Amino acid sequence: MSDDSLQIFIDEAEDLLNIAEQALLHLDNLDNEADTLDGINDLFCTFHTIKGAAGLFGLDSIVEFTHVVESVLCKIREGSLTVDEDIVSLFLSSRDHLSNLVENAHSGEQGISGELKIIDDELIGKLDDYLGVSTADEKNNDLTLTATVTEKNTEGVINENWHISLRFGPNVLRNGMDPASFIGYLSNIGELKSVTLVSDAIPQWNDFDPENCYLGFEIVLIAADTNKEAIEEVFEFVQDDCRISILPPHSHIDAYIKMIEELPEEDMRIGDILVACGALTSSEKEDVLNTQDRLTDKVTAGGVEQKVPPLGKVAVEQQVVQQEVVDAALKKQNELKLQRDNSQQTIRVNALKLESLLNLVGELVIGSANAELNARRLADADLNEAMENLLRLVEEVRDTALGLRMVQIGETFNRYKRVVREVSRDTGKDIDLRISGAETELDKTLIEKIGDPLMHLVRNAIDHGIEPSEKRLAVGKPAMGTVNLDAFHDSGSIVIQIKDDGGGLSKEKILNKALEKNLIQENQQLNDQEIYRLIFEAGFSTAEKVSNLSGRGVGMDVVRRNIESLRGHVEIESEEGKGTSISIRLPLTLAIIDGFQVRVGNAQYIVPLDMVDECIELNESLRGKDEQANYVNLRGEILPFMRLSDMFGEKGEKGEMDNKHRDNIVVVKFLGKKAGFVVDELLGEHQTVIKPLGKVFQNLKGISGATILGSGEVAMIIDIPAMVDRVIKSGEKHSILPNEIH
Amino acid sequence: MSKTILIVDDSSSVRSVVGIALKGAGYEVIEACDGKDALSKMTGQKIHLIVSDVNMPNMDGITFVKALKKLPAYKFTPVCMLTTEAGESKMQEGKAAGAKAWIIKPFQPPKLLDVVSKLVG
Repeated sequence: MSDDSLQIFIDEAEDLLNIAEQALLHLDNLDNEADTLDGINDLFCTFHTIKGAAGLFGLDSIVEFTHVVESVLCKIREGSLTVDEDIVSLFLSSRDHLSNLVENAHSGEQGISGELKIIDDELIGKLDDYLGVSTADEKNNDLTLTATVTEKNTEGVINENWHISLRFGPNVLRNGMDPASFIGYLSNIGELKSVTLVSDAIPQWNDFDPENCYLGFEIVLIAADTNKEAIEEVFEFVQDDCRISILPPHSHIDAYIKMIEELPEEDMRIGDILVACGALTSSEKEDVLNTQDRLTDKVTAGGVEQKVPPLGKVAVEQQVVQQEVVDAALKKQNELKLQRDNSQQTIRVNALKLESLLNLVGELVIGSANAELNARRLADADLNEAMENLLRLVEEVRDTALGLRMVQIGETFNRYKRVVREVSRDTGKDIDLRISGAETELDKTLIEKIGDPLMHLVRNAIDHGIEPSEKRLAVGKPAMGTVNLDAFHDSGSIVIQIKDDGGGLSKEKILNKALEKNLIQENQQLNDQEIYRLIFEAGFSTAEKVSNLSGRGVGMDVVRRNIESLRGHVEIESEEGKGTSISIRLPLTLAIIDGFQVRVGNAQYIVPLDMVDECIELNESLRGKDEQANYVNLRGEILPFMRLSDMFGEKGEKGEMDNKHRDNIVVVKFLGKKAGFVVDELLGEHQTVIKPLGKVFQNLKGISGATILGSGEVAMIIDIPAMVDRVIKSGEKHSILPNEIH
Repeated sequence: MSKTILIVDDSSSVRSVVGIALKGAGYEVIEACDGKDALSKMTGQKIHLIVSDVNMPNMDGITFVKALKKLPAYKFTPVCMLTTEAGESKMQEGKAAGAKAWIIKPFQPPKLLDVVSKLVG
């Protein structure tokens, strides 16, 4: 099967597994029977779809495994098994295992081996316990079953001449079944020796209904290597409406008698037909018809047995059953629909295609900037007006294109329900996870990358933030701890907030620990924010006990770094005894940003606009007398600064004050730290399409990317977080202490 | 003229694989993701066979077959249900609605082609 299809399957399976997880977690929260059943139904549907699709790809390991899970789910649906915590946990592990199996299939493995196999066996064993069979038994049963079946088949006379007697029911054509196509299919099994049409059932013209099927056939088939079941199977779709007799000829005469009795036509006529089509010889026919008289009683008895209840009645009965089933199914379907509606209304697009569209839009923005530049130069009123229109459209296209990458954060948030469940079980704490702002949209790349840091923060909040229930009760808090996950837009960026009502951060503990780890000096003055931010320093952990969840002190600085690499930053607010709130602030998108364009020497640079705090002129009153100083006194605050011309080796114009040149400082702010960059000219805002740097330049310090200006020139985008660090560090070398200024 | 088969399934991977198998065997294939979608794609062209899943959002297979049986142009189009060994009641329901053929899931493409050739030759 093609790789493309397999990829679709993998993607689909992942989505379904997510739905399954949601359904499972939903189960855990509710004692409500109806909801539980709905959850089980959702679960069943997802496992079922995976199984069906996996079967198509011949992924037997997945089919086998899901089948067992499905059987257990079936039992629950039937009501012969009740849902408890253990089953839910088992299903969760099964879901995880299935996810691994899918992964395994993705990597092109045919079967399963090693650890996966062990887990597979183990889980199937556990699931089988619920089914009331041990794995070995089931397999044995299967074996014996097949054995008997085969035995039976070999017992039957596999004669060369099969006789098939068919009487199609009146509804066959209405059901879309084509008698000729079934008969034609028989030639796949063997050679059709003869097909004799029995048209006796065709009524008078007046009574003839062209939609009815009145046809019957007597067929002689030569098929050495087949058995009755195989032939029966050919007609399985019409057997409800039809009379079908399949006989291995010359074997049992009374079988023929029985068949002839059951057929609607006159006995004599059938006999003739059988002779005509070569199923029986004339003498055999005589035998049959003679013996028939003697056996009449017996045969009639058999015939009565064959009688079926009036179809209408059955249909009505079925109709009643159906109505209930349909109603119930509809109700469940509706619930499922609510969940699925979103995914149904989306189109799956190859990420690469989207990427190239965004690239093109980027080029379009750059191209239009170029056109605008030229239009302005020509100063043609009509052209400028047309250009205005065009630019507006380009802007709309840009916003829409960027919007395509936007994904709701809800799905990511929902993943943490699982985390919370596990962590709260491991720590024995009762946690209520509240999610809001799930519909807030975020760039897909951001969502993917923010997942792990966020997970760590959630774990930390539960593990370190929330106190054990006894302690909580003692201080008058409800026993159940609350963790709030929230996402919202705030002035051009997205804020994700993790808030707990736990013990809060202890400034004293943090300070002591920081001193112990040599992260701060003894007499260093720090404000609250600075103290809290210490927890993001590498090697910092104040948890007295290291649990297996967190507290190893490696997490938080990784969290910070991950978030900063996304041009985001972290803010902490905390009140001891009341709780902690950690806010992650992320840019709306990674592809196009508002930039601030500056000139240094002959080159142009871009500073992300949201990090620009202010722009000031660097003059003597600010700098003081010292030409070499690398800090200024900005309204009583020290502001370390750096000349970008030095940093990037541009030929700056420093000191050429007589030439009417003025140095400007762009003051940037990142994570509460401020730094200044001296530039030669401030050029203003610029729509910056971020182009990543090639591999060769990956280790370049201070540059995070590049962009193309309207003029076609390349401008570098300054990596503000790195540069701020650098400026501050070089400032520290001069060991300026706060009290030296003023 | 090659025969046209409409495949209705909410699983895009099933559609994809079934589509590839049927096209490989020389059939024309129309895909639909649920009953509603399928009905909207039946615009008067000759369809020789419909292969439909049972459990689908928006409109499930059984409702779809019932709706189909009311369309003069398609009421005699054979329908093959994709069902499961566990879905015996669904299968009966499907049969009552007029879907007389079925394939038990999970199945592999050869099985499908086999059934299709049984139904449309």
